[in-house]
Amino acid sequence: MEEKKVTLKLDNVSKSFAKIENDEVTHALNEVDLTLHSGEFVSLVGPSGCGKSTILRLIAGLIVPTTGTVSVDGKPVTKPSPERGMVFQKPTLFPWLTVEKNIAFSLRMQGKLKGNEDRVHRMLDVIGLDAFKDDYPDQLSGGMAQRVALVRSLINEPDILLLDEPLGALDAFTRMNMQDEILKIWYEKKQLAIMVTHDVDEAIYMGTRVLVMDANPGRIVEDIHIDQTYPRDRSSASFVEYRNRILNRLHFGGNS
Amino acid sequence: MSLKENNSEKNLSGTGDLGSLSRQQLKELEAREKNGFQKALDWIIMILPVICGIISILEYKFIPDGITNRNPQTYLGALIVLIAAYIIYFLVAWIKKMRGNLPCIEKLRYRAPLFSALFLLLGGYDYLTLKTGILTQPFVPCLNAVLNIAWEDKAYLINCTLHTLRLLLLGYFSGVIVGLITGIACGYFEKVRYWINPIIKFLGPIPTPTWIPIIMVVASSLFKGAIFVIALGSWFAVTVASMTGISNVDKSYFEAARTLGASQRQLVFNVAIPHAMPSILQGCTQAMSSACVAITVAEMMGVKAGLGWYMNWAKSWAAYDKMFAALFVICIIFTVVTKVLDLIKRRLLRWQNGVVK
Repeated sequence: MEEKKVTLKLDNVSKSFAKIENDEVTHALNEVDLTLHSGEFVSLVGPSGCGKSTILRLIAGLIVPTTGTVSVDGKPVTKPSPERGMVFQKPTLFPWLTVEKNIAFSLRMQGKLKGNEDRVHRMLDVIGLDAFKDDYPDQLSGGMAQRVALVRSLINEPDILLLDEPLGALDAFTRMNMQDEILKIWYEKKQLAIMVTHDVDEAIYMGTRVLVMDANPGRIVEDIHIDQTYPRDRSSASFVEYRNRILNRLHFGGNS
Repeated sequence: MSLKENNSEKNLSGTGDLGSLSRQQLKELEAREKNGFQKALDWIIMILPVICGIISILEYKFIPDGITNRNPQTYLGALIVLIAAYIIYFLVAWIKKMRGNLPCIEKLRYRAPLFSALFLLLGGYDYLTLKTGILTQPFVPCLNAVLNIAWEDKAYLINCTLHTLRLLLLGYFSGVIVGLITGIACGYFEKVRYWINPIIKFLGPIPTPTWIPIIMVVASSLFKGAIFVIALGSWFAVTVASMTGISNVDKSYFEAARTLGASQRQLVFNVAIPHAMPSILQGCTQAMSSACVAITVAEMMGVKAGLGWYMNWAKSWAAYDKMFAALFVICIIFTVVTKVLDLIKRRLLRWQNGVVK
């Protein structure tokens, strides 16, 4: 099947939040312009409070921009849609549903489950958890749960895949394994993937493009294209160069 | 590449030689071998209920009665039936054990001391009432008398039981259903909570029995009035529990469900309610105990039928044996109802089994 090509545009997008305790307003995101296309794997890095998660949630449609518009192929985003799949830092698997039913949740909600059961099984195959399909999420390890969460949104074959620090809570080994897994899944479909991360190495290792952000107010300060083929070598000279450049931009580059 | 490695994660923990172990087999593997003395003790404990049952029979047969005892065979028969039931249970568990199914006999071993105590208790009670009259007759009637009167008056007792059950279930379920609706609506919609919350705060703390005298005066029929009182108590318990349950649902579940294409209605029915289910069922259990209190009080105070009324009526005729018979029936009904609720709860919450012990 030919993949649908989409263009995501953020046009002069700002987002401010009112604090609960007083009348103060924080500017999480200030006048962001951004154009992204299918086939890109975009990493967002930056210190906390720079609005990287806010960008993701705006694209998902979970929140609405204060000013400006978010649009996909010219159509403004107003509410969440399975076309824009999202994976959160917490797996947020529904604890009352088995692994299999968690994966089937989205199809069931859209009334598409009938006749598409094979898609659920294909997803279980992709993550190699077929033997766990009747288990409840509490019985899974963190890595397994996050894999299930990943295919739970992938079952809709979303045009845009939003990853909000999906590997943040995992141990180092599971994390590296899953970086490769996510890349493999993305490489097959070449949808537009946008991932928020704290980890500069991860951002370079996975992204075709790294957006460096800064806080107060939240904005994109640098847009770096990573010209390396996959799989990438974390110790190669150019990788280290990218890392230094980004760390410098984030004001952590003292020794380089 | 890495996808294959995932499978190895499974292999290490799941499908090796140890992989097909059941919980029971694991327990056996790790358990220390019981020595001869412990094994013998297990057997004695499992046979103990039969011995205690026989002691009760001997006590009943051979100690002379303090008062005249009509139809002495009834209690004897009941004892024999109970002992026979235990023996059958024992045999079934033993056969299962022979076929390799251990949990059944372990359960029996676990329960056997209680059964033994029950038989001793029956014997002791009989000694204190029928044999010696330390508990004065006929105020605390011996079990034989209670069983006899229950059998003689069975038509009326069954009638009253049905009446009680009908009242209890009608009141309970109407309260629970309305409670579910208001509780879920309150938990999910801010506006509904705005209007319903004051009502709950105002009416909630009033103990249900307080309503009964008012209902006696106001209600067009006592039966409907009693249903209302029972329903009110259940409504309150279920509303509060489901409201808390729903408003405590982690927001991230709603967000995840929305990005997966769930509509507003689906968020309520497929996320909020299942997530709040433990709390909701807790409310249902609480509602049942409140309903049990309410119905007993209602029947004692005004409703002219049912077991509570039967007890009161028996008391006014000084028919203490009837009173005790009704008490036992009430006890059985409430136990069964609570047990059924518990089974439903376990079934619905089996996803929690790993978490909540």
